[in-house]
Amino acid sequence: MHPPESSLAVRDLVKTYGSIRAVDSVSFVIAPGEIFGLLGPNGAGKTSLVECALGLRLPDSGSVRVAGIDARADPDEIKRRVGAVLQSIALQDAITPREALELFGAFYPRPIPAIRLLERFMLVDKADARFETLSGGQRQRLALALAFVNDPSLLFLDEPTSGLDPQVRRELHDAIRQCRAEGRSVLLTTHYIEEAEALCDRIAILHRGRIAAAGTPGELIARSASHTRLIVRAAQPPDPASLARLPGVIAAAQTGGAVSLETRESGPVIIELAGYLARTGNELLDLQVRKPSLEDVFIELTGAAGEPS
Amino acid sequence: MNGILHHLLLTLRLNFRARQALVYGYLVPIFFLLAFGSVFHSSVPPLLHEMGQLVTITILGGACFGMPTGMVSERERGVWRRYRLLPASTAGLIVSAMVARYIIILLAVLMQFGLAWCLYRTPFPAHPLGELVAFSAVCFAFLGMGLIIAMLAGAVPAVQALGQAIFLPMIMIGGVGVPLRTLPPWVQHLAGFLPGRYAVEALDACYLPGGPGLEDSKFALAALLVIGIAACIAGSRMFRWDSGQKLPRGAIPWIVFALAAWAAVGLVAERTGRLAVPIDAQPRPPVAAIARQSPTAIASAKRWQDVTPAETAAITFDDLPRDDGTIAPVSRSLDDLPAASKTRVAGIRHLLDNWPPARQGDVVQRVRNLLCAAGVFDVLEDPDEGAVGYVILDTIRRQVPGEDLEKVLTYIIETPAGGTVLTSVPGLGIQGQITEEAARERSVMYATKLLKRVLGK
Repeated sequence: MHPPESSLAVRDLVKTYGSIRAVDSVSFVIAPGEIFGLLGPNGAGKTSLVECALGLRLPDSGSVRVAGIDARADPDEIKRRVGAVLQSIALQDAITPREALELFGAFYPRPIPAIRLLERFMLVDKADARFETLSGGQRQRLALALAFVNDPSLLFLDEPTSGLDPQVRRELHDAIRQCRAEGRSVLLTTHYIEEAEALCDRIAILHRGRIAAAGTPGELIARSASHTRLIVRAAQPPDPASLARLPGVIAAAQTGGAVSLETRESGPVIIELAGYLARTGNELLDLQVRKPSLEDVFIELTGAAGEPS
Repeated sequence: MNGILHHLLLTLRLNFRARQALVYGYLVPIFFLLAFGSVFHSSVPPLLHEMGQLVTITILGGACFGMPTGMVSERERGVWRRYRLLPASTAGLIVSAMVARYIIILLAVLMQFGLAWCLYRTPFPAHPLGELVAFSAVCFAFLGMGLIIAMLAGAVPAVQALGQAIFLPMIMIGGVGVPLRTLPPWVQHLAGFLPGRYAVEALDACYLPGGPGLEDSKFALAALLVIGIAACIAGSRMFRWDSGQKLPRGAIPWIVFALAAWAAVGLVAERTGRLAVPIDAQPRPPVAAIARQSPTAIASAKRWQDVTPAETAAITFDDLPRDDGTIAPVSRSLDDLPAASKTRVAGIRHLLDNWPPARQGDVVQRVRNLLCAAGVFDVLEDPDEGAVGYVILDTIRRQVPGEDLEKVLTYIIETPAGGTVLTSVPGLGIQGQITEEAARERSVMYATKLLKRVLGK
């Protein structure tokens, strides 16, 4: 039995396309009110995983449970409970946001009235405009509104901010955070690392169909093999070889006019560095401390750089 | 259920907002109506015998182009992928799309009936309820085929290609565009394996004045239902929500299954002798209409010799079509004919001299045969129809002395349903067949034109 408090429980999910294992024995659980991020480079299997979880694709094996209900056994009940924003979805050119919300709502027993959704997603002014006249941000807000039409307890958001400008992205981030405040669970897939770090309570990094690492952003960073970097600028360029011999310094390298020091603990090294500079009559001009980031973790695990948010 | 109904109504609303859908759904049917009205003028009023074909073309267009274009376009945009997340059955959404298209086509057909009446005084269906039943059966069969096209087509251009693959054979050899009666016998049999033939048959039976109605169309209706059921099953089993989704592995067997229904229907029709188009099967009702126009009862037992000068004088020529028009044309002379036509018409004149129907002992039947021959050239729209009319009228004048000719022509005009008529004249070098009703109608027209000449009016 799965714990009743899990909004979504995916267990040993496998999906193959020919010889390619797009989703390879993936398991995770999302708690109520939790925003769970699936982070991975393009082709990592994020969309396949979401589509299997939504019942749009038939997995080869494994199980998906939404609020304890087996998705394969009762797909219609699952559809009544979840909302989704999928990639590459558009509506008919001539449909209006109001009509779309009323149409989709008509399939559910207790839909949220269209006007409330139009207000919530700032679409009242465009309620009766044709879909083809909406901007990219308005279309994405409408997609999100459609995902809310059945008042879902679990939302699947498959790269919802992809291709949007920063302003619109920030608006959608607020809307996603509001989901958490309302007690809804969210499965968010993204390849924007900063977006995942800013929004998600927990993140799973997906690489070649498998979960390479999972945890809170802090846990993932803490588990990173990357080191803290100290970027040092002095009046007289210091000798990297001398700095490398300081206690606690793992490596030192010249980077432009500065020297970069790698260390596990920055505090003691800073004290040693200050002493060294005083001993050599040098003056410290600038010191930057750079902790390992989620991007470092992402690159370590996938070998790919995430896209800047 | 509420969702499906909402989807149906919204599909209709969106259809009427889309300019392209309006052009294809309503302007094209008007174009076909006008084209048929100008090309097929063999009936009085025009289009009487072409409405079944016209309605079938409208249904074919809506079902095999309109619906699949809409569905594939929405699938390409991801609309159906989004619908898939709804707690709705596939069958429900398919039925909704089909019913919406049924209503769209129904409105187009009603518009055609209304326009045909306004423009040509073509009557409305003689059996309205029967016509609605026949229309529904035709829609069901063709919408099923449209569903298969929508599933096979990966993109909108492919809909056009697949639609044409169904549309063109039915137009050309299926009795939908070219009337079945004018096609060679082997094509008439081949048409039995295409749904279009049964569509026209069922629609005509309920449309034509005095037509038999649904009673005589049971086989055609059953054929359409069998074809429709097979197509709907195949189409729904091949259903694709997503443009990226491949056709299911079983697609080809399902296509074979749908086509097998066509073959089964054709074989049953062939085995039960339903595929021949005997003269008896041609529409008869307008014969009665012609009789009503005549001042004398058809059943007159009078001989032609008893026709009085007063009866001849009572015949009016006001409503005759113009000699240089398209109905019952008669050339003013043969002088201006192109050389090739001159040679051909001379050959026909020569054939007429030894043509057995023109050597009948009964002078009335002989004249009627010759008049029918002119009618066949006219209705089949032979390029030399006017010149042949000229030669035939001349032949009749040469064969029958003046006073007798007046009486014979008056007799033929007064008894349009009398004797027998020729509906084809292959002996004069023209292939194809016209209806008995058209033959009688044209023979009366040509008789009247000749009488006018004989009387010097």
